[in-house]
Amino acid sequence: MPQREHLLKIGVSGIRGVVGEFLTPALACAFAQAFGTYVGSGRVVIGRDTRASGPMLQHAVTCGLLATGCDVLDVGVLPTPTIQIFTGATRARGGIAVTASHNPPEYNALKLFNAQGLFFNHYERNELVDLYHQSDFRQAVNQEIRCVFHDYDTPVTMHFQRVLQHVDTDRIRRKRFRVALDSVNGAGSLVSCRFLREALGCDLHAISVDPAKPFPREAEPRPDTLGELAELVRRERCEVGFGQDPDGDRLAVVDEHGVVLENDDVLALAVDAALRRVPGDVVVNLTTSMAVDDVASRHGRRIFRAPVGEANVVATMQSVQAAIGGEGSNGGIIFPAAHLCRDSYTGMAFMLDRMAETGLSVSQLAEHLPRYHRKFGKVGFEHGKLGPLMQALEESFPEAQADRSDGVKLMWPDAWIHVRASNTEPLLRLAAEAKSQDRMASLYAKVVELLEN
Amino acid sequence: MPAPAALRISHVGLRGVVGRGMTASHVLDFASAFGTFLERGKPVILGRDPRASGVMIREGVVSALLACGHNVIDLGVVSTPVIQNAIRRYDAAGGISIGASHNSSEWNALKFFGARGTYLSTAEAGELLDIYHLKNFSFVGWDRIGELREQRDALDWYLDELAGAYDLAALTRFSLLVDCCNGTSSLILRRLNERFGMNFTLINADIQGVSFAHEPSINRRTVALQLAPLIKPVRADAGFLFDVDSDRVAIATNEGTAISEELVLPMIADYLLPQGPGRLVITNLSTTALLDEVASWHDGRVVRVPVGRQAAIDALATYRPDQIALAGEGTGAVMMPRFRFVYDGIASMLAILSMMLERGRTLAEIVAGYPRYSILKGEVPLVSKQIPALLMDLQRRYEGGTVNMADGIRIDWPGRWFHVRVSQTEPAVRVICEQRGDPPVALYEELMDLARSAA
Repeated sequence: MPQREHLLKIGVSGIRGVVGEFLTPALACAFAQAFGTYVGSGRVVIGRDTRASGPMLQHAVTCGLLATGCDVLDVGVLPTPTIQIFTGATRARGGIAVTASHNPPEYNALKLFNAQGLFFNHYERNELVDLYHQSDFRQAVNQEIRCVFHDYDTPVTMHFQRVLQHVDTDRIRRKRFRVALDSVNGAGSLVSCRFLREALGCDLHAISVDPAKPFPREAEPRPDTLGELAELVRRERCEVGFGQDPDGDRLAVVDEHGVVLENDDVLALAVDAALRRVPGDVVVNLTTSMAVDDVASRHGRRIFRAPVGEANVVATMQSVQAAIGGEGSNGGIIFPAAHLCRDSYTGMAFMLDRMAETGLSVSQLAEHLPRYHRKFGKVGFEHGKLGPLMQALEESFPEAQADRSDGVKLMWPDAWIHVRASNTEPLLRLAAEAKSQDRMASLYAKVVELLEN
Repeated sequence: MPAPAALRISHVGLRGVVGRGMTASHVLDFASAFGTFLERGKPVILGRDPRASGVMIREGVVSALLACGHNVIDLGVVSTPVIQNAIRRYDAAGGISIGASHNSSEWNALKFFGARGTYLSTAEAGELLDIYHLKNFSFVGWDRIGELREQRDALDWYLDELAGAYDLAALTRFSLLVDCCNGTSSLILRRLNERFGMNFTLINADIQGVSFAHEPSINRRTVALQLAPLIKPVRADAGFLFDVDSDRVAIATNEGTAISEELVLPMIADYLLPQGPGRLVITNLSTTALLDEVASWHDGRVVRVPVGRQAAIDALATYRPDQIALAGEGTGAVMMPRFRFVYDGIASMLAILSMMLERGRTLAEIVAGYPRYSILKGEVPLVSKQIPALLMDLQRRYEGGTVNMADGIRIDWPGRWFHVRVSQTEPAVRVICEQRGDPPVALYEELMDLARSAA
């Protein structure tokens, strides 16, 4: 039985919850009114993923935006990065994606973007939430109310063009790669087929690409949820398999043997591909693998770490003018030359381009990455205990270098551990990584023991 | 000049000035209440008039109904009778009409209909209001959310029904001029021209969301504004004025005379009563006494109820449908049993044209056949707590007449009556008096003075 506080969350990450009793049309509408009031009257782009509750919430959001005097450009069912890129490129005041990303189907949420198609920064988000709570929305009268426009195609071609200008499309097309795809019947379903088959000339074998059907698997693309895709790769003897989440921002990759790569390795490969093309440093979150540090230093680039969360990584990327960034365990690749957003299409294009360029298979490319051992987990915690826990943790490893910017991260030259409170659930998330399996296991065990006492 | 703030939530639904009283949140909550009120399983029909705010309101209504687990069929910009017709056609659970009818463009409203397209009874409307106030809505889980479908054929179904009731082919002989006030009647009349070769010439015919060519008030003054002066130049046999959602109609004769909106109901009564079987005409206390005189010609009887649609609906419910010839108000709003008691300006217009055809007389000749009644209407702003004393005072002063206190006070003498009542929409007293023949100016002035001195 999930705890009540899981079912609705209104806060700096927007509004997210279980549809029906908790996330109601009235809440979505009021949040859209706050958004419309905040960005000012003008155009707002709106799209959604394939969740059954998507149209209902999109109507509520559209109502709220129109009520504040915004005009609404509906782009229909599209991946979140496609909506972000289009929002930034068209002269919109902002954008809203109706999607709960990798959450289960009973959830939905609003992702909010500014005029550049980026997540709001910390301060903007606080202002917006304050506006929502004050409920003092701009109220358009009849003559100030605008209408709804539709454009279902321009965003897609624009997104493809943004991504493909950074790879050698002809070289990829000549290879006619055998590619497997699992879009979880999400927003990427039709777009990804078009991207891989038409734009990149792949011989595509796709499952779960029917946007009218429910999610056939757990929505987050991880090694343990992509069994069917791995099986498809083996059965059809594909050279690579791609797995997406429902809103097409996260990417998982399957090698030619049907082995799902760890998401940190996918990011490391993308960092390598990006640094071969554009100059600049790298930003990842605190929980991302040291493999990315090694890849960056091979290219003579620095690495910066940000607290967990796409918005945090993007903010740091902006301030250091990074060439590439991302969040390892979440399967997010952010390539600013295309757009400052998590984008599975950039990931797919980089992977295929590196395969075409080197003639190497996915597993061979991954073999060139430095080897680390990782473990992730979560434990519940009582409110009020967090401070003493963190303190005890730091004191029991006095020799480690500590980073307190998001929970506690303790670092050694060959290893690190990271303990932080989840933003979305009353849980502590643990992560450990080390050069050797034994070292990782002993560090992880010690942390668990500390937390459970 | 911006419209002053207004919001009214009552048994007839939700009504107000958008952005100045009526907000998206009212719309969502009211539509959620209706979605909770209706039984699931059958679709809900939706349509709107062309006001710009209708697009915003539609989005909110669709969202709330889907969230309550209803499939929604959206007819787009259509008149209210088209929605009611579609409710029957689809055997729907009910419907919502978004539109503020005869109010100016800043206004909007939600009107609710039950199965078979009927207005909600007072008991049903009361239940809906209770749900709205409790805000305990029954939203369904993610896997039972409804689906939206757009349907653009509803207008033709409605025209089929009109064609079944009137001899449209015979009515093509009339050349007709219509002031659509930028509303839904222009869509209907254009289609009548296309499908049945009818002969409507339209003015103010473009669908407008923001600035109507003139106020959509249905009265003699508006008819005289643009419609009546054009009748003779274009040699029309009649002129008609519709409000934005075309539930009310006013007329101009072939001679270019603007006719009082009060005359529409007696004329249609004159046409329908002889056809039987209904003998009753249901109307409110403020409607012209000409109606009683016309009804007496045909052995009919007028039943008078308090002002407001809800009172008429409740009165209808207390008779068998075949007892009733028609119901309506002096505002040009008429409902007929043939159309299941829905205010329908288009059907009313066709009834008047059919009468011209049947009697072989011009509209001016028909109008000239009615005795002259003169009605005077006024309004005085009044503090609510002074009203009972005023009504008592009036009752004491005017003796010797028949007193009816069902809604304010109405006193009838032979050939003359007055009605003083409290407005349902603002803190004001309305004064109406009528006399067979010349206007009862002295009585009217006296009543207005009394009302003013009570303030």
